[in-house]
Amino acid sequence: MINLKFKLNGEKVSVKTEAGVRLIDLLRNNFGLTGTKEGCGVGECGACTVLMNKKAVNSCLVLAGQLAGASIETIESLAEGEMLHPLQRNFLEHGAVQCGYCTPGMILSAYALLDENPSPDEEEIKEAIAGNLCRCTGYKQIMDSIKATADELNSKNK
Amino acid sequence: MKKNFSVVGRPVIREDGFEKVTGSAKFADDLKIEGMLYTAMLRIPETHAKINSIDFSAIEGSQYLTAICTRNDIAGIKKIGVIKNDQPVFCGDKVVTPGDVIAMLAGESEEELHKLIGKIKVDYTPLPVLTDPLKALDENALLINEEAGTNLIVHHPLRKGDVEKGFAQSDFVIERKYTTQLIEHAYIEPESVTAIPMGVSRGIKIIGSIQNPFTTRRIVAAVLNMPLSKVRIEQSHLGGSFGGKDDTMCMLSARAAVAALKTGRPVKIRYTREDSILESYKRHPYIMNYKAGFSKNGKINAMKIDIIADGGAYVSMSPFVTWRTVVQATGPYLIENVHTDVRAVHTNNPYTGAMRGFGSPQPIFAQESLMDEIASMLNLSPVEIRRINGLKAGDKTATGQTLQNHDVNLLTVLETAVEKSDFTNKWKDNRENKKILFEPDFSNPVLKDNDFIRPEDSIKRGIGLSVSLRGCSLGGEGIDAAAAYLSLQSDGTIYLNCGLAENGQGLKTTFSIIAAEVLGTTAENIYYLELNTGITPDSGPTVASRSTLMGGGAVKNAAEIIKQRLIPLIKSEWKLGDEEEIEFAGNKVSASGKELTTFPGLCRLAYSRGICLAAIGWYKSPDVHWNEENGQGDAYFTYVYGCQVAEVRVNIVTGEIYVDRVTAVHDAGKIINKLGAEGQVYGGVTQGVGYGVFEEVTHENGLIRELNFDTYTIPTSKDIGEIIPVFVEGDDANGAWGAKSLGEPTLELASAAIANAVYNAVGTRLYNLPLNLEEVMLGKKLRPVNNKRGSLA
Amino acid sequence: MNNIEITIPKTLQEALELISGGNEGIGIIAGGTDVVAGMRQGSNRFGGINQLVDVNHIKEMKGITGAGGIVTIGAAETFSGIISNKIIRKELPLLAKACGTIGSVQIRNRATIAGNFVNNAPCADTVPVLLAYDSTIEIKSLAGKRELPLAEFLKAPYRTQLNSDEIVTSIKVPLPKGDFKGDFYKLGRRRAVAISRITLALLIEIKESRINRLRIASGAVTPIGTRFNGIEKEFEGKTADEKTLKAIASRLGERVIEVTGLRWSSEYKLPVVQQICYQMLYSAVYGGGK
Ligand SMILES: Cc1cc2nc3c(=O)[nH]c(=O)nc-3n(C[C@H](O)[C@H](O)[C@H](O)COP(=O)(O)OP(=O)(O)OC[C@H]3O[C@@H](n4cnc5c(N)ncnc54)[C@H](O)[C@@H]3O)c2cc1C
Ligand code: FES
Ligand code: FES
Repeated sequence: MINLKFKLNGEKVSVKTEAGVRLIDLLRNNFGLTGTKEGCGVGECGACTVLMNKKAVNSCLVLAGQLAGASIETIESLAEGEMLHPLQRNFLEHGAVQCGYCTPGMILSAYALLDENPSPDEEEIKEAIAGNLCRCTGYKQIMDSIKATADELNSKNK
Repeated sequence: MKKNFSVVGRPVIREDGFEKVTGSAKFADDLKIEGMLYTAMLRIPETHAKINSIDFSAIEGSQYLTAICTRNDIAGIKKIGVIKNDQPVFCGDKVVTPGDVIAMLAGESEEELHKLIGKIKVDYTPLPVLTDPLKALDENALLINEEAGTNLIVHHPLRKGDVEKGFAQSDFVIERKYTTQLIEHAYIEPESVTAIPMGVSRGIKIIGSIQNPFTTRRIVAAVLNMPLSKVRIEQSHLGGSFGGKDDTMCMLSARAAVAALKTGRPVKIRYTREDSILESYKRHPYIMNYKAGFSKNGKINAMKIDIIADGGAYVSMSPFVTWRTVVQATGPYLIENVHTDVRAVHTNNPYTGAMRGFGSPQPIFAQESLMDEIASMLNLSPVEIRRINGLKAGDKTATGQTLQNHDVNLLTVLETAVEKSDFTNKWKDNRENKKILFEPDFSNPVLKDNDFIRPEDSIKRGIGLSVSLRGCSLGGEGIDAAAAYLSLQSDGTIYLNCGLAENGQGLKTTFSIIAAEVLGTTAENIYYLELNTGITPDSGPTVASRSTLMGGGAVKNAAEIIKQRLIPLIKSEWKLGDEEEIEFAGNKVSASGKELTTFPGLCRLAYSRGICLAAIGWYKSPDVHWNEENGQGDAYFTYVYGCQVAEVRVNIVTGEIYVDRVTAVHDAGKIINKLGAEGQVYGGVTQGVGYGVFEEVTHENGLIRELNFDTYTIPTSKDIGEIIPVFVEGDDANGAWGAKSLGEPTLELASAAIANAVYNAVGTRLYNLPLNLEEVMLGKKLRPVNNKRGSLA
Repeated sequence: MNNIEITIPKTLQEALELISGGNEGIGIIAGGTDVVAGMRQGSNRFGGINQLVDVNHIKEMKGITGAGGIVTIGAAETFSGIISNKIIRKELPLLAKACGTIGSVQIRNRATIAGNFVNNAPCADTVPVLLAYDSTIEIKSLAGKRELPLAEFLKAPYRTQLNSDEIVTSIKVPLPKGDFKGDFYKLGRRRAVAISRITLALLIEIKESRINRLRIASGAVTPIGTRFNGIEKEFEGKTADEKTLKAIASRLGERVIEVTGLRWSSEYKLPVVQQICYQMLYSAVYGGGK
């Protein structure tokens, strides 16, 4: 057992855990943050995507013992109460959500993309979500949502 | 027919969307209950084996073990199935396929349970393995299910006219063989279910990623030997299903329930991806022999079809899946003489069952490839051959059914697709610039000077199309009816619930739109209740793209029942004459254009006058008729039509196929939920492309090689080009305003369109799915010699 | 796997001390994309591990610097870090391209370059490129440091020269001197997150219509990433015409058969690798193509 301290969704947290526990299990079991999903456990599907120090990572491949001092953000941190983040709203408005299982990971990958590249083109959007498998939507409406969000944020920042 | 819609057909945000984008939606594995136990399955790495003994002594008394569950713990039936009870909940004396489970451990730590599994000693004798479905019916074939006495699961014959005469009258007769592969549903959420014991008098509650709660309830009740009313099933948000969370979830629910009753504690089964791919059923591989006789002018006179479907070790949905195949095997063509035999057989391979498409993608690949081949033999275009043979209103299908009472839009979808994609010009251009595939010769593996192809010559474009007709709903497969419950609240908000399940396809939204349309309110005012077998009437399974048609019909009926109660109230309240038209629209109620009150105002009034504001709506399909002996009859009460055009690039030195564009034209009847309908097309086409180009579960002696998404590859965002959905809204007397089916038609067409496009590009016909690198280059599949991960692949 | 111990040393010295004890069960973890996925799949390579040393926070093993015609890449540098580096993009375009084809954004944000070649899968995508660039690696232990060419370091699939008390600290890539053209090629079963079926890295310098220098390395068609020095020598000095380019590609086919033998996949891979080799040479020499 280790005493682990890190930043989770903007707050400093500490937790007692085994070091070899995967970040996804830590989030779901110790913090009840079940928005992070498991689809494969081997880094292929992206359902478990979270932000680690602002970068998208597969939480099924990060171990608790590797976290010390890291800053982790999950899907639960995006909306402020009833106020959805523009990405979330655009996912809904563009029909980008079907079963919704890939959605949290997908939104976080998109979030990390826009953070780094506020005006991605279609190829860049595809690349950014290529590690997030979606079996329902065929990706089209997801890409539309990301594009729309980028446009919206850019016009606001002008 | 209502002409002006206020909600139907406009973009409406998903009913369950907010929860899903914020991560608060509860999927099955998100459920956590105090005192809950977890599980681990005991399997052996054999495809077929006799179990001599199981020795649990090494783990008995372990602090990590709460219970061992075996078939001795089952009070009721020990084998289950959606059609036939042939799949053991826990195997006793034999395993017949590698997914089979012998026993299940329950305890508090999953990790520790898995360690315990390794300590159990199973003494078994491997048995010979039957993997070739073509050998399943041999006289001396080993029997997978000895009680059945045969490996034949089902045989569907169809006889229309006289094929021999038809062949004799034909100018040409060709015979072709096509095969399709085993594939996995690959819903991104693996299976999970929790069973909660509710005490002796209350029975058991089951919450999970369950596609068909009513089927699950029936099976769990039979396994526990409990009345139906004591088994309550609640559906969690389902992380995709595509037909795949039926049998497997019934099985897992039964196991969890057995363990929950044995331990008196809630028990959760959560599958890893490996468990899921290993044990869950898949799409049937088909081996299809087609023989067609046709005249010089392109008219098909006769078709003889012989199909073997690999059902694997269990019956599952095979009888129904192959039934759809026999009905649709000749495609949407008018053919006087047809002789079809479809057989599903047992092997030791992974078992197969329902999957989006349900027995249609396979024959469509065959028959639409064949039509193109016939066209090219006669120097006709792919469009011409289909114009000549395509079904029109009043024509008789292969089952002898006359197409009527709906717009028979086959040629309309074809012409629309041809025009939208500029098919004819592109097809001609490509054909003229056709480049031949580089065909390696393995006896001379080192290439010679003139084998080499320059980079600029290696990419070739092609365009191809395919068309289909598809029977809606269950047809001759079973009782076809659905129910919906609607309850208006005194403030104008509405509870809605239906016995069909939300599997991610957006059914809640569609139903909310339908209710809102009838009552003139907005979909946002409708609060959709979760499906719970305790309160919702049984509506049969959510399969066969029947939810919009059947459930939509039921929702509309419920809303109309209530509306009919409200109209007399309005008339007496506002003293209106009989002839006055009452209109419900825009959250208002008006008479002959004059606003009377708001919708909430009306609800308040009705409530205060003691009017019953709840109703159960019911929709039962028109009857269908079917003759098992000759495959003749009215198979389905209505049909939908589709045409997809695929534009591809083929790399003639690597065999890569890039699908650049798919134009998908569908007559799904009235489109209720526009965003949802488009989403169905994008998703279905993408799955169709995966099926057509690279998805495949392979096995060595029945042992699956691709157990996770590293090797079982499904399309990523980069694997699919543009998809253009086009809807042709044909009229139909059935369902809600003639809204029919879309989910499955979108998936079934792409593989044939791609194969035809490859032919257009390079002049090579491909007969075996998937059209992967080796198939394109060598016309065959290559298989690794061992199953080890990371072996030189 | 839960009760593994994980230490995060801040300095190389600390890390070396941790692994110097001769503890059989101690392993190094960087991005963890091979280690964690492998442990979960029960790979026997990671079976006995009970302690992991995380090297992601060791300054000496991070960063990318260029000096004296050599680019030094910290062993624990992630693929994302490498791709976004200007020097690499400009001077070592094949490496940037290869790193860009690895896994997904999420994988590249974690996975490291040393992890890739220490793991030494047949399909490790950076290996052919690093071989073509004549890279050497620096390895340290408490006993000292050694430097050796990557080609020597890699022994067999999933096996290298690394001793249990050693850590790879950096990789040194000499900038190709001269007017090299070339490319990295990867073929998978789909267009993203794909296990390589064939990879080739190729550099060629033409002087006065002759092949002055040639470098060819493969992955996934050979048991491990392999450089073809013999072919290079044979064709250096030859006229760079189509005939020669074809001959090089055919010779590659022959060599792959010698090195790999005939396998289940050869019937497909052998002809394709020759075609691809020819096409890459052709594009490098004549420009154009894709
Ligand atoms: C979904 C997915 C997709 C992938 N796609 C690709 C791909 O397209 N191409 C490809 O080539 N690979 C791919 N990989 C494999 C993997 O990401 C790479 O091999 C990666 O480079 C490994 O780096 P890592 O830092 O994650 O290594 P780790 O998993 O941390 O370590 C791998 C091995 O290297 C050792 N090690 C790491 N660093 C050092 C060091 N500095 N000194 C000594 N030993 C060390 C570890 O002990 C371990 O044995 C993929 C993996 C996944 C999960
Ligand atoms: S669960 Fe982590 S990538 Fe699939
Ligand atoms: S919406 Fe179902 S997996 Fe993406």
